[in-house]
Amino acid sequence: MSRDEEGIALAAVGLGKRYRRRRGPVLRNCSFRLPAGRICALVGPNGAGKSTLLSLAAGLIRPTEGTLTVLGTTPAEARTRFAYVAQSKPLPPQLTVAATLRLGAELNRARWDRAAAERIAYGPLAPGGDRDGALDPTSKIRSLSGGQRTRVALALAFGKRPELMLLDEPMADLDPLARRELLGALLGEAAEHGTTIVISSHVIAELEGACDHLLLMGGGRIRLGGDPEQLLAAHTLLTGPARDLTGHTVVESRDAGRQLTALIRPGGPLPDDWQTAAPSLEELLLAHLRNPDAPDLFTEETVETDENEENARA
Amino acid sequence: MTTLPTSPLTSPREDHSLSLRGSRGLVWSVLRLHRAALWIWLLLLAAVSATMLWAYGPGFDAAAADLRQQCRDSVVACHFPSGPWYGKYDTAVALSTLVVAYLPFLVAVWAGAALIGRELETGTAHLAWTQSVSPARWLAAKLAVPALLITAGTAVLIPLHRLMWNGGEELLWADWYDQDAFHANGTVALAYALCGLAVGALAGLLLGRALPALGVAFAAMLAITYLGNDYRPSMWRTVTVTGAKALNLPDDSLRLDQGVITTEGTRIGNNLACTDALDGAADLRRCMARGGLSDIWATYHPRSHFWPLQLAETGIVLAVAALAVIAAFVLLNRRVATASAAASVPPDRRTAAVGAAV
Repeated sequence: MSRDEEGIALAAVGLGKRYRRRRGPVLRNCSFRLPAGRICALVGPNGAGKSTLLSLAAGLIRPTEGTLTVLGTTPAEARTRFAYVAQSKPLPPQLTVAATLRLGAELNRARWDRAAAERIAYGPLAPGGDRDGALDPTSKIRSLSGGQRTRVALALAFGKRPELMLLDEPMADLDPLARRELLGALLGEAAEHGTTIVISSHVIAELEGACDHLLLMGGGRIRLGGDPEQLLAAHTLLTGPARDLTGHTVVESRDAGRQLTALIRPGGPLPDDWQTAAPSLEELLLAHLRNPDAPDLFTEETVETDENEENARA
Repeated sequence: MTTLPTSPLTSPREDHSLSLRGSRGLVWSVLRLHRAALWIWLLLLAAVSATMLWAYGPGFDAAAADLRQQCRDSVVACHFPSGPWYGKYDTAVALSTLVVAYLPFLVAVWAGAALIGRELETGTAHLAWTQSVSPARWLAAKLAVPALLITAGTAVLIPLHRLMWNGGEELLWADWYDQDAFHANGTVALAYALCGLAVGALAGLLLGRALPALGVAFAAMLAITYLGNDYRPSMWRTVTVTGAKALNLPDDSLRLDQGVITTEGTRIGNNLACTDALDGAADLRRCMARGGLSDIWATYHPRSHFWPLQLAETGIVLAVAALAVIAAFVLLNRRVATASAAASVPPDRRTAAVGAAV
């Protein structure tokens, strides 16, 4: 295994997935790379293919075309090194919380961190006594609320001490307090162990500020990829008199008479009579989703790694 | 890096010690997840075993004593056994035969619905596959643990049933080739139960939902059992006798066909001509001469064919089970990512992975 592969948590090349032969593909020609150690938000509208991409990465389904490399190898070979939490948080309903954690321990005998799992499920070992949201070890999974089941599912993921966490909509069922706590736990895990974390969501707001990598899915592929700061810096929101925008990449433009509002990727210096502003992340994402024809963009950093590779090989 | 060519069913990465350690966890997980089924199985074993032991010992004795008494009182009772004790004994035997004979159906619907179908439907199977357990090993454990328990259970049930059956022959008036008795009295009981497990698991994997898998597993077992009953006589070579012997087959024979051979040498099956010539060889000769027949014949299985027939059917049914197991593994491996899939991306294609740059 070459060194650059170790530095890449997820890499897709021409990835495609079609569930039924007659239906259209869910993923089509999807290519991207996610460097290791990032906290990555995988965002996109409903049905964009986020869950399919994560299922492929978890080795639960096979791609119809292309390849997906997980931690430098196939999803099946990497099985012991990643954790996956499915959107529906499936857990055996007949088990108790404690038995579910035991199940995690039994199925991950080689690398089970009991303390980490119990910290997520039962809360930190504080002398303060009962905490809100913490679970009773003897309660049955069947009796838990959606948010409580998410907590158990995440506890299994933490107990595995993975190098990569694939979390499909983990925040959806959580109340704001639990969301903060578990997001904090995820960030702590990433900071302490260098874990790569992929969190899918259709609400970017709940991840803004927490992630240092962004993958925007739309139309079955990755539309935007990279550091959110850099992605934002590459775009300008401008207002001004309607004028030819040749030379710039226009993501979205709206004409209101002689007045023009546009989100562009500047290709050169902008005239002075245009008012420019930095777009918000939400504006950036929405503009791309509204305009499927806008060209895909990956930040330089991702490419740089690539060029280094080329140099190293030469 | 290279990918070793591997068989789809095994992963080269798991060295032996690791896979043993992992297996213990898997076995625990199968037993824990299906604890209710395990209890029901143990309770069923205990109840049916107790019933059969009762029928073999006290039940039979009480019924026999009661009948002897009745027979002394009235001649009619000697030929038409009845009475409370006989009723109880008969019910106990019939029920336990029913349970042992139709156990495969119970196993099949359980395997289809609860063991596999529900786990795929709710996604708890996927939960296991994303722990440190490959789907193939998950399925192997899901099949091996119940298979062992089923084997152990039927290893108790079959001898007990034989004990009860052989001990009660003078009261039961049943034949060794009766379908239910044949299913409960020998190794075919185990074979069909294991086949039920395999077929149920395959149905569960194929459909991925509990209720449809239950239905399909039941229907498949119905078909297999029907075919087994239908083709049972041809699973071992039959005995054919001619002449007077055809009229007096040994006791407890399963008569399959009988017919005549005309003077022209034509063999006619399913023909009862001259079977009423019971007075002896001379009577038979007269009858054949009258009808223009040169001989009569009968085809049958003697009682001594019980074990050959049992073993032949056991082998065939186990082969069907093996096919179902293979199909289940192939199906599973085609669906999920396996270790044999391409592991790395060619370097020249890797650069193409990244789209437009800023």
